[in-house]
Amino acid sequence: MMDAIEIFVFGTAMGGIFALLASGFSLIFGVSRVLNFAHGVCFAISAYIAIFLVKEMAIDVYSASLVGIIFSILTGIIVYFLTKPIRNNIVMVIIVTLAFALLIEQILLLSFGNRGLTLKPFVEGIQVIYDNLRIARIRILAIFIAILVLILLEIFINRSLIGKRIKAVSQDSEASMLIGIDVEKVLIVTIGISSALAGIAGILYAQIFNIYPAIILRVLIYAFAVVILGGLGSFQGSILASFIIGYIFVTTMKTLGAQWSEFVMLLAIVGILIVKPTGFFGVKE
Amino acid sequence: MKNQILILLILFFVLILLPTFTPSAYLYLIGLSLIFAVIVVSWDLMVGYTGQVNLGHTAFVGIGAYVSAILQLPLRIGFFWEIHPMIAILFSGLFSALVGLGIGIVTLRLKGYYFSLVTAILPLVFMQKVFIWREVFGGEEGFSIPAEKIVFATTIEKYYFATFFMFISMLIMLYIVRSKIGLRFKAIRDSEELSESLGINTTLYKILAFFMSSFFAGIAGAVFVNYRLTVSPDLYDIPLMLLVILSAVIGGLGSLIGPLLMGIVVYLAKNWWLTALRWGMINEELVLYVILIAVAIIMPRGVYNEILERSRR
Repeated sequence: MMDAIEIFVFGTAMGGIFALLASGFSLIFGVSRVLNFAHGVCFAISAYIAIFLVKEMAIDVYSASLVGIIFSILTGIIVYFLTKPIRNNIVMVIIVTLAFALLIEQILLLSFGNRGLTLKPFVEGIQVIYDNLRIARIRILAIFIAILVLILLEIFINRSLIGKRIKAVSQDSEASMLIGIDVEKVLIVTIGISSALAGIAGILYAQIFNIYPAIILRVLIYAFAVVILGGLGSFQGSILASFIIGYIFVTTMKTLGAQWSEFVMLLAIVGILIVKPTGFFGVKE
Repeated sequence: MKNQILILLILFFVLILLPTFTPSAYLYLIGLSLIFAVIVVSWDLMVGYTGQVNLGHTAFVGIGAYVSAILQLPLRIGFFWEIHPMIAILFSGLFSALVGLGIGIVTLRLKGYYFSLVTAILPLVFMQKVFIWREVFGGEEGFSIPAEKIVFATTIEKYYFATFFMFISMLIMLYIVRSKIGLRFKAIRDSEELSESLGINTTLYKILAFFMSSFFAGIAGAVFVNYRLTVSPDLYDIPLMLLVILSAVIGGLGSLIGPLLMGIVVYLAKNWWLTALRWGMINEELVLYVILIAVAIIMPRGVYNEILERSRR
């Protein structure tokens, strides 16, 4: 019972983090049909910048995280400009974003080393919920932050003008151009928002787990699992799928050990593709 | 395309004559680059001819490498009878191909990006087995094959082995793409709907291409192990995958011979020429990635195709 509650809380926190990461990946794909392999860079760069500022510059963790997220957005903008001339060539987009991700991974490796680093959490300490059920406070806070950001994102996309334009472009890019939407502007805003989401996810992740340079590519496994389960390009689908993947991840970690999580993710993906290939809310290509 | 065979023959004779005037330290690297080039060409067989972007080709290279290494050292999994290295190499190719078949049946019946997404995570997934069963697969360090268990001991023997391996694999792959099967692959690449309406079973041929491509990747992985006598997780790794994609794309997708030549050049550049550029914090990988991004943006259709186009003008 205790285990079940712990898995539930921890899994929800991880699900929230995956949701922040994958919804951004999915948004970019929806708007521009770009498979952004550099999305993990936005995830890692915010955490590394924040860790650096807290440790070396003695800046408080909130402002450091903010600066980190700004760096994520800048990374997203760089990716936008790198992929702009080759956007309709899927292989080239993959090469450029993958090469960019590996480049940043090398730079992080050379400047921070290979060992795992953690960011000082927003709140320290352990919440005793019941007798021997203790949960680190940051995990509970991470759930609230993630859900708050996701709600804000949902409101932004459905209510604001630019949000509606993002929706329009992801439904039909050419028709949106015809009715006078500046598709490039929408795209740059989408990439900015998505990178910020990945940045927030990275900050939360680094407060719960270790972060290391190779995570730039590793974290994409979870993002892909979420997108395939939820259906490519579907926002609601990826949110729901994130939490399922979060619970699967935590359960695997508690029962088999962390090194099995990649295998279980592959099995989950293959299982989904056999049973329901388009995911929960998949859109037709 | 008689040209392709001609270029291959010229290359083959140059490689045969090379040892007479090249020091053996360089021969060793050139031999490795030939095996790498076969990996690149086998990637092109899938991606350049059927248009399905496989991002996990190194998963099959790694599977082939580990299967062959384990078969040659069966004591690691508790068996006693050994298998001749040549049979082990063929078997590891077959094993890789069967894994490819399984993944292909699940993902290739779907249209769109599913195949790319699933293959992209394969190397990372299969790399984990090395860390889970550490005593069998040897962890990060991998393990080495003792010298008495291999067929080719000296550098010159290994070099000729790699050369013949490259030549034979190239002949088979060139034959495949010029046969009726290859024609159907190209039809699928150019228009999937049209080939479907002409009665081509597109799913079957995509899976067939993936099967053959994984087979050659597995064999190349096994040859790699027998060449450098160690097996380690770097054969799975994403940087190797990127190097494969880079060579094939710059060499010109869908031409086999372009990727072959570019594979040799890129591998030698990375492991030989670019190492001279080490300076302070900067290493050859940083330089390589920057060049890669620049080339991809400036010449999005590949250097080979771009040069062909410009010379026509």
